[in-house]
Amino acid sequence: MPFTLLTSRMVEAQVLPGQTLFSQRGAMLAYRGDVRFTPSITGGQRGVRGMIGRRIADEDTPLMTVEGQGTVMFGHGGHHVHVIDLVGDTLYVESDRLLAFDGSLRQGTMFMGSQGGVMGMVRGQVTGQGLFTTTLEGHGSAAVMAHGGVLELPIDQGRPVHVDPQAYVAHRGDVRNKLSTAIGWREMVGRGSGEAFQLELSGTGMVYVQASEEKL
Amino acid sequence: MNGPVIHDAWTLPVDDNINPYAFSVDLNGQWFLQKGKMVAYYGQIDFHGVGLGHLDHLIAYSFHSPLHAADWVVAEGQGKMVLADRAFDVNSYDLEDGNLSIRSGNLLAFQPSLSLKQSIVPGFLTLLGTGKFVAASNGPVVFMEPPIRVDPQALVGWADCPTPCHHYDHQYLRGFLGAIRSRTGLGGASGEEHQFEFVGAGTVLLQSTEEVVAEISVGETGGTGS
Amino acid sequence: MLAVDLTGDSVKAKNGAMVAYEGEMTFKKKTGGGEGLRGMVTRRLTGEQMAVMEVKGHGTCYFADRASEVNLVSLHGEKLYVESSNLLCTDSALRTGTSFTGLRGSSQGNGLFTTTVEGTGQAALVSAGTAIVLRVTPQTPLQVDPGAYLAHTGGLKQHFQAGVNFRALIGESGGESFQIRFEGDGLVYVQPSERNTIGGEV
Repeated sequence: MPFTLLTSRMVEAQVLPGQTLFSQRGAMLAYRGDVRFTPSITGGQRGVRGMIGRRIADEDTPLMTVEGQGTVMFGHGGHHVHVIDLVGDTLYVESDRLLAFDGSLRQGTMFMGSQGGVMGMVRGQVTGQGLFTTTLEGHGSAAVMAHGGVLELPIDQGRPVHVDPQAYVAHRGDVRNKLSTAIGWREMVGRGSGEAFQLELSGTGMVYVQASEEKL
Repeated sequence: MNGPVIHDAWTLPVDDNINPYAFSVDLNGQWFLQKGKMVAYYGQIDFHGVGLGHLDHLIAYSFHSPLHAADWVVAEGQGKMVLADRAFDVNSYDLEDGNLSIRSGNLLAFQPSLSLKQSIVPGFLTLLGTGKFVAASNGPVVFMEPPIRVDPQALVGWADCPTPCHHYDHQYLRGFLGAIRSRTGLGGASGEEHQFEFVGAGTVLLQSTEEVVAEISVGETGGTGS
Repeated sequence: MLAVDLTGDSVKAKNGAMVAYEGEMTFKKKTGGGEGLRGMVTRRLTGEQMAVMEVKGHGTCYFADRASEVNLVSLHGEKLYVESSNLLCTDSALRTGTSFTGLRGSSQGNGLFTTTVEGTGQAALVSAGTAIVLRVTPQTPLQVDPGAYLAHTGGLKQHFQAGVNFRALIGESGGESFQIRFEGDGLVYVQPSERNTIGGEV
């Protein structure tokens, strides 16, 4: 677990020789020691494919690799930061919400359409967040950003959680998501034009929700 | 759940935080205030523009930043003032025969026993002497000791250390990726090629943001601020 | 963020303010049904309407509004005056209405009416930063920046000052050369931010 929350909006990461961190470009606030920051063209070890996928999807969040020996403080835009520790499971997160993550995590891109069918594609259109979601898998930690504080809502069998797509941050576990239209929801959530849907998450896992309907 | 705490003119804290975002000044004399940073007050308080009227003597002693004069006032009288700034975190700091430099947009108020000057670093103000001041930050301030390199945007201020110098990541500029970038335009900048470097004894104050609290240009074009 | 547990009862909330829910919920749009709600709708004379929904069911609802802080106000029969854009959610037992506040419109160019909440129950207000509650007594009137004012209860008279002193404080270009002066007996809710003016977005 290389991340320590210093405040609700700033994490500190230990960088050790032989270990790599990835972070969003421009998210370094300060560092001490001998630390190198390199723009990542490939986006990580498995990244070439992932990044190509993302380029197509226009969801290219520039990353940089962080290597060396020292301490780095990360934060971005004053957004709240939430640290998620993975123990072999998979985190699904929009790439622009990723502040920094362990290089030990396998990074991939998931076409949401394959999971949620047609509705998954709608979801991309609804949220404007793209059809592709970044996946991180393995053992390690990721620091994600949210507008406002983050609420963790467990998802259990028979207890689905419904989330405003705009407030959705990330999820993990064996979770199916689909867009649904609760009766009346369309009228209720008519803040924007396309928010006629709610995201229904079912299965077993956890969903991270931010205290805001604003996108980052 | 308990109801919220109800404050009145007497129970408001004396020169202390009401909550993380609001600070109560017990005025008994004078304070310097940045305009628009006071949300409420009790009591008999007069506000004078800096450079106007009978406070010339005070200003000659305490205020040495002509570029900012239009943005500051002197509050004079008796009462309680509630200071806040766009729901940013607010804190007070005590200086004892010290010196501290702070981003101009982050400074809300200070006691006239302190003297305010423009820092050599553009966009920063330096407070000298003994007294209390109130400053805002995006999230709580994190205190760090040098040696440390800081993204200029995340810097709230520094105390006691020598003035920072610029640090450029030459490895990046000269390196392989730099070469690719210069030829193809690919790769871009990491965004981290330039930092302020602090060495020596002192304290560095950090906040989490790349969009800083709106600052007033200092020493650039001599802008009038806003 | 505000979590509301419902066991068959209902709450009234600002449209679009629900970020998640567990359990079974139904949503009903309230459009000018009761007297009070029509008040909230008609209040927005300029442009957008303040729309309200009723949420009913079994489970937990999570409400939030632009990462604002949520403040709970318990009412025991008194009347709360609040800017409708700051009202997130109320017990459905509370009556909402509209009150004419006159002068403020002239200072803000917006909002001649303010929303009132009356009865016994809880109301949730949103603010930029945790709200501060300040008591006004006949001996201690209170001056508030209009952009920081959220709500008030009790027998308060408010009037607007455009004093020379205060004008020096906020500057000619600021466009808010007024302060609200509260006199009487009551409580004023103030947010630690002055950027959002009373009318909502600047």
